[in-house]
Formats: sequence, structure tokens, C-alpha cells
Amino acid sequence: MPEHTNNGMQCNEFDLLLSEALDGLLSRAELDRFEAHARACKTCGPLVADAEAGRQWLKGLMEVEPPANLVNNILASTTGVDTQRLMARAPVSQPRISWWEQVQASFLEPVWAIVRQPRFAMSFGMAFFALSVSLTVAGVKPADLAQISLRPSAIRRTYYNTQARVVRYYDNVKLVYDVQAAVRGIKRNLNPAEPARSKQNDHKNDTTQQPEQKQERNYSQTGDQLILASAQLGPSVLNPVNPDLPVVSVTTYRRIV
Amino acid sequence: MEDVQVVAMLVRRCIAGDAAAWEEIVRTYNRRIYNICYRFAGSSEDAQDLTQEVFIKMYRTLPSYDSSKGAFVTWVTTITRNLLVDHFRKTKQDRMTDSMDSTSSEHEDAQPLSEQIPDQSAPPDAHVHSREVSETVHQALAKLSPELREAVILRDLQDMDYKEIAAVLRVPEGTVKSRINRGRAELARLLQRTYRQVM
Repeated sequence: MPEHTNNGMQCNEFDLLLSEALDGLLSRAELDRFEAHARACKTCGPLVADAEAGRQWLKGLMEVEPPANLVNNILASTTGVDTQRLMARAPVSQPRISWWEQVQASFLEPVWAIVRQPRFAMSFGMAFFALSVSLTVAGVKPADLAQISLRPSAIRRTYYNTQARVVRYYDNVKLVYDVQAAVRGIKRNLNPAEPARSKQNDHKNDTTQQPEQKQERNYSQTGDQLILASAQLGPSVLNPVNPDLPVVSVTTYRRIV
Repeated sequence: MEDVQVVAMLVRRCIAGDAAAWEEIVRTYNRRIYNICYRFAGSSEDAQDLTQEVFIKMYRTLPSYDSSKGAFVTWVTTITRNLLVDHFRKTKQDRMTDSMDSTSSEHEDAQPLSEQIPDQSAPPDAHVHSREVSETVHQALAKLSPELREAVILRDLQDMDYKEIAAVLRVPEGTVKSRINRGRAELARLLQRTYRQVM
């Protein structure tokens, strides 16, 4: 724009005031100077009319309506979510989803969401810690686990071996043995042998008495017991009734198995 | 123009992952952005693609919005304008764009812009006539240089004030006013030639 002055206003200043003049923002004094310059300047004068005409043309332009599916496309391209409301308004074809993606969406994602929670991680850690402590106390080593045979016969054999070991351990406890011996002694004192034996004969087919018989046989009537006999010769120990016969004293020791 | 607190709340909800807030922003601003893109790019298809690109960029850079530095609409318009300029550079449209000044002064032998605009006779129906006038103005607008076009679009079609336009275009207010004046004047001259020829 030329840099000449008309009526105390340069063309540059006129250019800056033109927009405000069209907007009606100039003061009276500024407007007078502006109009005076427009009348006098052959370059700036036509510019006022053209700018005002262009402004009117642009004001006549109506706002255009965006395509109906624009919002849907924007949401799909940003969040990847198509709401039902949007689908109803502008239906779009759904992409094919593979079965693996369906499994991920319906099963793996919810499970993974639970697993990711700190509460679940804490519980899992505590359970693992408790299990490892229990196995350590029980004497189970990870190296032993690899050698375990899972065949049915092997499992059965392991079961019976373990059961036998437990029974042996129980029977070998001294306290248990003492209690059992005391109980049997009390029973023997309370029930004489003969009536009890006749009573046993009366109930020969009563199988409930068999464990008692076995116990008696084990500890008083079998050859497992160790019997030591000794005869001491001498006048103090001679039988006063028949001094020719020696007195025999018998001492029995029970072997604890 | 916009409730600053409401918009700031919407932006915070969006950043927190609220899909409904983002949908509200899209619904609020898609019309404005689409119109800017349509008037600048000239075609509906380009405007639709550019509008989607604007929102994708908005979605990614939303946490960088600082309400203390300016209004949200100014931030949105700046993103739009930057994308439009990038698009313009990619398509090399600036080489094909002509202006009234260059045509009249530098290329006297070239075909005037008024002849490039399709000759459309005025239909009897006023509504159709109005629509065709709008189409003619739209085509004339597309012939302006990008600097003048973006200035008049933001001022006369989006009703932004000079200060906001200066912030979007990153030029002084005086430059904004000058571009608006020249853009309006060029558009008027172009359309006067068009209708003078039709008459």
C-alpha cells in the first residue's frame, strides 16, 4: 500500500482503521478523518467499498451441515467406541471380529482386570508363601516332586507305605505303650482269667472280641517274649517242704519292638 | 462465547478417561471445525477427513491444553488452522491458487478468475438462487490466497475477534486487519466480475 498522506492520515493507518470502521467501532473524530482520507485517496477510496461488499458476500454464506456420520466416525477413530445411540443414527458396518478377539473381550479381559488388582496379587502372594512354608516344614523338596511317579500302582504303594510308617511311629511311642499296658493290667485285675475265658467260649463267633484276643496273644502267650530262668543253689533257697528240689524263680522281660 | 469453567471441567473429565465428556466435546465443536475445513479446503470430502484429523490430534494433545493461556475454542481453532496449512502444503494447492492482484497485474494474458468460475444462470426459485450464490461465493473464496482466506474465514464466518485471530495465526493484530481487508476486497472484486459477465 502506498505510503502517502491525505488529510493527516497515512494509507497504512487507514488500512488498520478500515476493519473497525466497517464494524462501526470508530469514534466520531476518527471516522471523520477516515472518511476524509477515503474521499481524497484514489487507492484507499475504492478499498472501502470493496471490503464492505466482500464482507456482505461472506455474511450471506450459510453454515454448512456436517455429514450425519461425522461424529460417529470421529468417535470411532479416537476412542474406538460406537455407542448404540450413534449406531441407531448412522449405522455403519461392523468389522469382523475373530474368535480369539471375542474370547479376549468376553473372558480374558475381565479375568485380567481382576488379576491386575493389588488385592488379588496380595492374596496370591500370601497363599504362595503359606504353601511354601507348609511344604518346607513337611520336608518336601522341589527336587523330590520331579521324581514322583503318578502311576496308580505307585500311588497305592506310597499310600500304604506312608500308612504303615504312621502306625509304626504311633506304636513306638513310649507313652502310648505305657498307657496301653496299664489299661490291660487294670482289666486283668478286674476280670479273672477263667470266667473271662468261658465267656469268650460262649461268644466264639463274636468278632468284636478278636482284637482283644490278639492283644493277649501278642503280649502273654506268644514266643516273642524273652524268658530268663535261673536256679540258685544253696541252703537259704531250698524248698522247706522238699529240700531236694531247688526253688526256681522266673523273671520275664518284655521286649519293646 | 464459551463457559470457561464448563469447558475446563469437560477437558479434565476427558483426560481422566470419561468417554461421555469426549463425546460432548466432539458434538460441540465438530460443526465449527467442519465449516472451517470446508471453507478452507473447498470440498466436503477433504473437510470430513481434515475434521477427523483435527479431533484425533485434539484427543492426543488434550492434556497439553492450558486454560490459563487461552480459550479452548482458540486452542481448537489453532489446531485446525495448523492442520489446514499442513494439508495445503502437502497438496501444493498454493501453486494453483491465484489471487486477484496477481492476475490483474502480473499475468494480464491469463484467464481471469471470473472466467474460471462456472457460469450459472440465476434460477427463478429464490431458494435455489440463494444456494447457487452461496456456491459461487464459496468457489470464489477458494481462489483467495491461503493467508487472506484463513483470515476472512475466522473473522466473517467464525466471528472471532482480531485478538483471537492473531493468536491463532501467530501474527500481529495489524497484520490480521490488513489481511481481512484485502481478503474481503479481493473476494468482492472477483464476484463483481463474475456477475458482470453473467449479466
